[in-house]
Amino acid sequence: MLVYQKKYIMGTVFEIAAYDQSSQHASAAIDQAFQEIVHVDDELSNYKSESALSKLNRSAHFHAEAVPSDLYRVIEAAVQFSKLSDGKFDISIAPLVNLWKAALSGDAAPTLEQQQAVKPCVGYEKIEFIAPRQISFRSPCMQLDLGAIGKGYAVDRAAEVLRVSGIINALINAGGSTMVAMGAPPGQTAWLVHLRDPSHKIDPQVMLKDESVSTSEQSMPSLLGKNSPGHIIDPETGQPLQTEFAVSVIAKTGMMSDSFATTLLLLGPAQGRVLLARIPAVSAIWIAPDARVETVISGPQILFGGKA
Amino acid sequence: MIIRQVTQRRIAQTARLGLFVLVSTCGWSSVFIHWTGSTLPPARELGVSDLVLSYDAPSPLMQAARKQGYRAYVEVLPQQATEAATKAESEGWAGIILRTRVSERAQMQTILAGLRSAHPKLRFFVLDPDGKQPEMRGSLVIKRDAVLEVSSPTAQPWIDSNLALVRIEQGADSGQIPMYSFTWNPPVAGQPGRMITAADYSLAVAEAGAFHADLILELDAGLQKALSQRDPQAWTLWKQVRSYAEFYSHPAQAGLQAAADVAVVVDDLDSSDEAMNLMARHNIPFKVSVAANLQSQDLEGVDVVVVFAKPDKELAAQLEHLASQGKTIVVVDAHGSYPWQTQAAVQLNEHAVSYAVGSGKVLELSEPVSDPETFAQDIRRLIGNQNALMTLWNGLTTIAVPYREKRGGLKTVDLINYAQDPVRVQVKVKGSFTVIRYDSPERGGCRSLAPTSHDGFTEFVIPDLLIAGRVHLENQPAAASGERCP
Repeated sequence: MLVYQKKYIMGTVFEIAAYDQSSQHASAAIDQAFQEIVHVDDELSNYKSESALSKLNRSAHFHAEAVPSDLYRVIEAAVQFSKLSDGKFDISIAPLVNLWKAALSGDAAPTLEQQQAVKPCVGYEKIEFIAPRQISFRSPCMQLDLGAIGKGYAVDRAAEVLRVSGIINALINAGGSTMVAMGAPPGQTAWLVHLRDPSHKIDPQVMLKDESVSTSEQSMPSLLGKNSPGHIIDPETGQPLQTEFAVSVIAKTGMMSDSFATTLLLLGPAQGRVLLARIPAVSAIWIAPDARVETVISGPQILFGGKA
Repeated sequence: MIIRQVTQRRIAQTARLGLFVLVSTCGWSSVFIHWTGSTLPPARELGVSDLVLSYDAPSPLMQAARKQGYRAYVEVLPQQATEAATKAESEGWAGIILRTRVSERAQMQTILAGLRSAHPKLRFFVLDPDGKQPEMRGSLVIKRDAVLEVSSPTAQPWIDSNLALVRIEQGADSGQIPMYSFTWNPPVAGQPGRMITAADYSLAVAEAGAFHADLILELDAGLQKALSQRDPQAWTLWKQVRSYAEFYSHPAQAGLQAAADVAVVVDDLDSSDEAMNLMARHNIPFKVSVAANLQSQDLEGVDVVVVFAKPDKELAAQLEHLASQGKTIVVVDAHGSYPWQTQAAVQLNEHAVSYAVGSGKVLELSEPVSDPETFAQDIRRLIGNQNALMTLWNGLTTIAVPYREKRGGLKTVDLINYAQDPVRVQVKVKGSFTVIRYDSPERGGCRSLAPTSHDGFTEFVIPDLLIAGRVHLENQPAAASGERCP
């Protein structure tokens, strides 16, 4: 039997569809998975003042802060992605993002001086790990934001909870931007996922089984303005990313697909290919509104249903 | 051409005034229950007095409804109205509800005026049947045994709300309280046995109340039967729903009117307009007017005017005047010669041009709105942080509606949370208020919230908005306000 539930967590709608012989069992397992996502949010949110991340952001400039194992694991993984991408993926970009947020809501763009002033606050190499569970910042103004990896971790944790509960065929969706597929629907080999297509011509699809997909795209340009900033900031330039591409990434875990989606959007297809040449079992597709397509396939095949 | 339009406007104004006099007895928005069952619980127990029955409902049911204390209405198409009204008068029904889409209202005011004149004892309502079940939606598409997932670049939750429809209905006839109905969405695969819950009904009732609209609420046939048979579980469910209906029937709200940052001018009303839907979704307070019926006060008190109509000479002059006074005018897909075009044009992008006019500006978008989401965000930017009546943080699942006294400052903000899980919402409103009190059907009683005022704005936090709540904004010593909400 198929059981479906949704819940608003982490500023988005999480949905879980699970197959099981008992709908009661599936419902109970889904409830537990949602509880786990809420727990992850309580630790990773930078919107909740009492979250472990908020406490870390308040105190790690002064002393090494002991953090819960979930938070330690996510920050550690994020820094690995930062190293892998030579800093294109960087969870310490929060001060720059905050600087541009006002411009997104209509205020003037930050001046070059303002941008330069926050640059010393940014840099993943200034995060210091003191095993097993302590973290400190080597910058007095550093702030971490796990928005580009947190939902990926949350869907991974939810999948693990379902697995432990005996659910083997399920789909967990974090607002459409990251999802994890476990097993497959009955009688099918995998879960069919339609990927984001800004051209509306290509209809890329992927069959997911025990894999994750994430999608990233810069905010749409203003219809009534000039050079409107987007919400994704390039840590290298300190400026909003200029790209028309939407990128979808298929990887083994939600944390991988989530962080790679942002990274590959920032890198673009040419540099993205270079990065993915070193990473096994990851597929990626970049699509522009004019239907230009770039793909890297070292994981699941990407199928095309439309007329390009 | 101009003379004809001015004449049309005058006729519309006269008709509007007449209609207002006729319907002004409707003090406040109400919940009407659409009843299809064969037996009824008493009105005093249901807590709702207005019952809608089908036109062909058996006569004994009609009589039973009246005996049980209900005002019974029938819902008919406009072409059935005359016959139905005659029957209603002889059978003792309370009134007639005319079901018609907003786009088909050309003759409605004339029809209504005739009906009201011929049947002064009956009440007449115009029903927009194009409402949506209010809900927070996911992005999974589930068909039978398969799940089709659509990936998306944004994880922002999608809200189905009726606020835009209510504003559009007000644009059709500002003298009448908008009335709408909706059909409950069928259960999706994976939830085959899911019943409509108390929270679903409560959200629907709260939404209409918060938007100051009348709602005809469809009750599930099983719930109707269970209520008639005095099933305790059904009555427990209904007691919750009833608390929302009672909350929004408070007469103290009747003198307030929705505040707006934006005026939208259209040629034709269309309840499926996505640009307005997205403005509502982004908590941009707006009002709607039809160009042919436009009065000068319709554009007063706003910071931005969005024109989805082709301005005639009179409207163009009015828009230029508003721009010269510092307003921002956005004219969409209305190619032509306009007075502001004598100013230097600044090309903003491939499709948009800006003209500086006095201390304001006119922006021309040369094509229809291609991306309503981006358009709504653009309008929010054009209002500017210094002018916005209201800003929400952590309000992705919340729609808030500010209300003001006529020609006065803000008095209340009604909030609806579509997620149905408690959210902590931070609100900033324009104006300096010393006392903020929060009232909700869920908790009962007023709570004081701590305000922080700066630069002409007041901020406060609602710690646990579940489905619905109302904020009262006051400017008086805290001790003077007491613990009761107005």
